[in-house]
Amino acid sequence: MGKRTVSRGRNHDAAGFSAAAPGTSVPTPRNRGVGMLIITAYGIFAVSAFARAFYQITPFPQEDKVQFADAPLALSLSAFAAAVYILATLALARTSATAWRIALAAVLVEMAGVIGVGTWTLVQPSAFEVATVWGFFGRDYGFIPLILPFLGLFWLLRHRPSETVSAED
Amino acid sequence: MTIMFLIGTAVCALSTLTCWVMTAVRNHPADSSIISIAAIELYLIAYGIYAVIRQAMGASITGEAWEFWGYVLTALLLPVGVFIWAMVDKTRWTNLVMSFVGLVVFVMVYRLEEIWWGSAL
Repeated sequence: MGKRTVSRGRNHDAAGFSAAAPGTSVPTPRNRGVGMLIITAYGIFAVSAFARAFYQITPFPQEDKVQFADAPLALSLSAFAAAVYILATLALARTSATAWRIALAAVLVEMAGVIGVGTWTLVQPSAFEVATVWGFFGRDYGFIPLILPFLGLFWLLRHRPSETVSAED
Repeated sequence: MTIMFLIGTAVCALSTLTCWVMTAVRNHPADSSIISIAAIELYLIAYGIYAVIRQAMGASITGEAWEFWGYVLTALLLPVGVFIWAMVDKTRWTNLVMSFVGLVVFVMVYRLEEIWWGSAL
């Protein structure tokens, strides 16, 4: 990869934002450009929430590991969060109108989940002696889970299916 | 704080900074961004080998072995996975996507150090 030849000069500068502008000849699909960042963030959370739920729920025979029966609520919520992130990642990465609706639903469920579970852990901390992914608004993850659904929603609303229809294969 | 943790922090920070700068100055995936996440992968391989040797010689870790190796494996897959995904669309944003590797691996190494020694700092 010695010589840098840029074959995609057309696509430079703020590629991700051009899709919202009406009259643009070839809008950037929502899973390209800046959209790739949002999908990457969702993918990272899908992997880490899944790994956490998997580790928490799998009954590894260790003395000091919390088992599922000890904290069914917190562990179920971790698993639910993981499922929502996986669904959102897959739906965001696809360009069809159906995927857009699934992604919108997943992002809204995620938003309700992180706000709901976050509030719940504040109001009734005794029910959450074991940490869950969305506990305290995603504090364990630098509050990124609280920001992510808003970014996702913003991105989806900026890229409605009718606008990206021409970009579908 | 261990030497491995300091090296990891430096490698991750340099990688993320490189990727951010390249996002600003290149409209295609920069060689330096790719090399910087390859450096993170190399660091993680070294970290893994160090952990294998040390634990094979009988040293114990504070936390759970399962959790530790789960983190090591996930961390090893991360730069590869992000690289493949970033290359799907070769634009300026590819560099920014790759900058995530340094941030996430830093957090994972921090957690690994906590599991290994009981505390990262």
